[in-house]
Amino acid sequence: MFDWIHNVPILSLTAYLPLVGALIVIFFMKGDQTALIRKFATGIVVLDFLISLPLWFAFDPHGELFQFRESHSWIDSIGVRYEFGIDGIALLLVLLTTLLGVLAFVSSWSAIHEREKEYYVFLLLLQTGMLGVFMALDFFLFYVFWEVMLVPMYFLIGIWGGPRKLYAAIKFFLYTLAGSVLMLLGILALYFFNAGGLLGWHGLGNPATFSILQFHDIGHLIPKDLQIWIFLAFFVGFAIKVPMFPFHTWLPDAHVEAPTAGSVILAGVLLKMGTYGFIRFSLPILPDATRALLPWMAGLSIVGILYGALVAMAQKDMKKLVAYSSVSHLGFVMLGLFALNGPGINGGVLQMINHGLSTGALFLLVGVIYERRHTRLIAEYGGLSSVMPLYATIFLIITMSSIGLPTLNGFVGEFTILVGAFNRTWWWALLAALGIVLGAAYMLWMYQRVFFGPLANRENAKLQDLSGREVFYLAPLVILCFVIGLYPAPFFRVIEKPVNYIVAKVDPSLGTAVAATGGGTPATAPRAGE
Amino acid sequence: MPNPQDFSYLAPEILLATAGLLLLLIGTLGRGLGSRESALVALVSLALTGFLLFRVRQAVPGRQLILSDTFVLDGFAFFWKALVLIATALVVLFSVRFLEEGGYRAAEYFALLLLASSGMLFMASGYTLLTIWISLETMALASYVLAGYFKRHRRSNEAALKYFILGALSSGILLYGISLLYGAAGTVQLHELSQNLGKALAGGNRLVVVGWLLLAAGLFFKVSAVPFHVWTPDVYVGAPTPVTAYLAVASKAASFAILLRIFYEGLGSIRVEWQTVVALVAAATMIWGNVAALTQDNVKRMLAYSSIAHAGYVLIGVLAVSEIGLWSVLFYLLAYTFITLGAFGTVILLERREYAGETCADYAGLAQRSRFLAAMMLIFLIALTGIPPTGGFFGKVYLFAAAVQAGWTWVAVIGVLTSAVSLYYYFRIVVYMYLVDAKPGTPAPLRAPALVGAIAFCALATLVLGLYPEPFIHLAKASLLPLP
Repeated sequence: MFDWIHNVPILSLTAYLPLVGALIVIFFMKGDQTALIRKFATGIVVLDFLISLPLWFAFDPHGELFQFRESHSWIDSIGVRYEFGIDGIALLLVLLTTLLGVLAFVSSWSAIHEREKEYYVFLLLLQTGMLGVFMALDFFLFYVFWEVMLVPMYFLIGIWGGPRKLYAAIKFFLYTLAGSVLMLLGILALYFFNAGGLLGWHGLGNPATFSILQFHDIGHLIPKDLQIWIFLAFFVGFAIKVPMFPFHTWLPDAHVEAPTAGSVILAGVLLKMGTYGFIRFSLPILPDATRALLPWMAGLSIVGILYGALVAMAQKDMKKLVAYSSVSHLGFVMLGLFALNGPGINGGVLQMINHGLSTGALFLLVGVIYERRHTRLIAEYGGLSSVMPLYATIFLIITMSSIGLPTLNGFVGEFTILVGAFNRTWWWALLAALGIVLGAAYMLWMYQRVFFGPLANRENAKLQDLSGREVFYLAPLVILCFVIGLYPAPFFRVIEKPVNYIVAKVDPSLGTAVAATGGGTPATAPRAGE
Repeated sequence: MPNPQDFSYLAPEILLATAGLLLLLIGTLGRGLGSRESALVALVSLALTGFLLFRVRQAVPGRQLILSDTFVLDGFAFFWKALVLIATALVVLFSVRFLEEGGYRAAEYFALLLLASSGMLFMASGYTLLTIWISLETMALASYVLAGYFKRHRRSNEAALKYFILGALSSGILLYGISLLYGAAGTVQLHELSQNLGKALAGGNRLVVVGWLLLAAGLFFKVSAVPFHVWTPDVYVGAPTPVTAYLAVASKAASFAILLRIFYEGLGSIRVEWQTVVALVAAATMIWGNVAALTQDNVKRMLAYSSIAHAGYVLIGVLAVSEIGLWSVLFYLLAYTFITLGAFGTVILLERREYAGETCADYAGLAQRSRFLAAMMLIFLIALTGIPPTGGFFGKVYLFAAAVQAGWTWVAVIGVLTSAVSLYYYFRIVVYMYLVDAKPGTPAPLRAPALVGAIAFCALATLVLGLYPEPFIHLAKASLLPLP
């Protein structure tokens, strides 16, 4: 049924459709045609989601590791190629991106009323940038998308943000740019090691390439000291993006100031790029460095879990609370990844998706009430469950998903991560479990203060419950939370093979060998006598 | 005695200088030429020069020394000459409306521009220290006058005087260095110089060290590298803005051409000596240029510091002394030419008499006043920061790659970190353009179709260099110097 998909450049279509949409808006629509622009832009992302959906059905979990490959020459003289392809992990993230894109666009209809043309243009460009990051199989191409995406996000925060938007926007941009330029040096080091060598290290003498698969193949040949340098260069870039403690300080600012759609995309997708970077690059390419720095990585993850949770507990602003909860949840994801075993990485990957769903939903929910009351202070609310019962119900479900209540998605992810962490070092799991308890505390406490108790503030008495449009964009997230919570098997099935592949790369003692990747030229041993 | 046929290879240079002199002459006759007519003459002579240049390149596809080994024809020289001609043509387009607005005579202006450019063409081909020095002076003298062309403006006068005094000083230092090297090596011809200097240095001749240091100091002055950069901000701010653009692009490109030629071909044998110095200068230039730019409120002054910072990035490629280092310098300056010209072009469009419209605040709300102009400026600023998909990004990547490969990782680290810092001041303008509302009564941008076209061309070039750099890399790779 989905055979046609292999005959079209489906990934490029998915990635560039928003770009094309943005260009059409720029050149063919006037700034005052807001209704048209809104509908057109939303139509584009809906179409994009529909195009990306067949990927899920056409993807063969037992087939090639990377599917829907596209390969074209681009900058031959330095070995840069235009390579697209997705494995199960990227598949889930691509679908998450297109889905959250639709929801973010629909939620913007009522939230954004000024400079709408520019708003939707930037949002569309952002979609293209994010999709490209997850699809690129050439490190250079990856980097291009990785940086391109910063510009629209900067504008989204800077133009449509809250009172301190200028500060938050430039802080976001500076932090992430500083991290990514150092990552670039790491990429260049890999590039030269694969080819002619650099500094005191003899290269492998392979043809110059930025192919990620080739780097996967030669990873274990890189001397440990060089691996550690490259790992650190990558670490700065990815850890800022995740964000890991102590690089997280840009996140609360960016989240609080960003418009709702910006927060949804930021939390739902952008942060995943950091964790995706670790999975795709740091772990499989730099196994020795990963194992050597394991205690540090796990330590920072655990500190992030506990610190994020404790700070979240002290927040008065709902959005800031959710932002800090992200720091804590992403700490979980990182801990899972750095358990370096099957359950840990499986859980980490699934939790990336879960966090995108539940935190995306939380930001949407906070946005709903912010639009009505123009405040996010918890103290302003109380007793909302009596005036907005539907809203209260959905909020409760998402809260439970975020806490990790069984039957909902969060439980599956966190439990799997804990299993992985326990297998690696038992007390990691113990400390992380403490984070779950804290998570329940701050989420439930917030829920209690907002929804229960007397309806003290009279301004809240007339609040409207969710509109049809709001239900429309919240419902898919709620449904998915249940689907993953009750029947996670299909999701684990698509990521099983890539996870095994990564485990085998990073810790050969644990993983089962996975067939060669195909595509990359086989690695050769360092040339003797050089 | 040089072969008479050699002079035919000088046709492009001779044509350009003659055109400049003719324009100067016509300018004094009767009421002289208007700015449009003079600009047309200048553009036609630049186009003809370009055509002749191309023919000469076809006639001498390889490398050939002519005129008693004082003048070299090679791909390297061809690259810089073509770049200078393109940049000059764009500056001509920038100047027409600007001169009309300022109410200044045009024929002399374009004549000086052509004369300065002919000096640059000679610079690119100079093969002895003396021919290089003389062509450098040809360029510099014309530039001093151009910087002071707005004679009724104090700032323009100040710029010309500062530029002249410091320029003369640096020329003196350069010449002194040349004389010392001549004393040590007994020749000024680059190839022989390199051979003799190596021997002289091995023989313990300390004169060599003093000589090349002075020579290098003079060259660093011309490319405005720290600590010889102090003239740059004042001159860039005071000079008429098209002249500033010309200095920032064409003059800088030609200066880098001779810097590379002298360092690689003349001082190639003692490269271990100068690599460390160039590394320190590059690091200082990147750090100081970027840090000082952070606090500038005048856009021209900010761009001046930014051009200092970019000289630092280019020096990374110089010190790598590798093939990738060399072609990355060429590629970078190619991209830099279009980016910087575009940025200055936008400044020109927004400028008013008496240097109004130069502060960041004058860019407030530009996105609402002129969506097109704001978008162009955004492209240039993104490119200057080094963010894809622009030529500025690829240029920087190759430079840093050269440094990593050659083992100068610490310089590359400083490079990437300072280029992250540069985001802050470049995006200050973006903040004003897009995030701040316009003050009431801000005048609309100039109406100048030629200028707008030139800016759009620069923006297009910036994007093409970013999205499909392959042919330009080939061009740069075909224009390399022999490595020492």
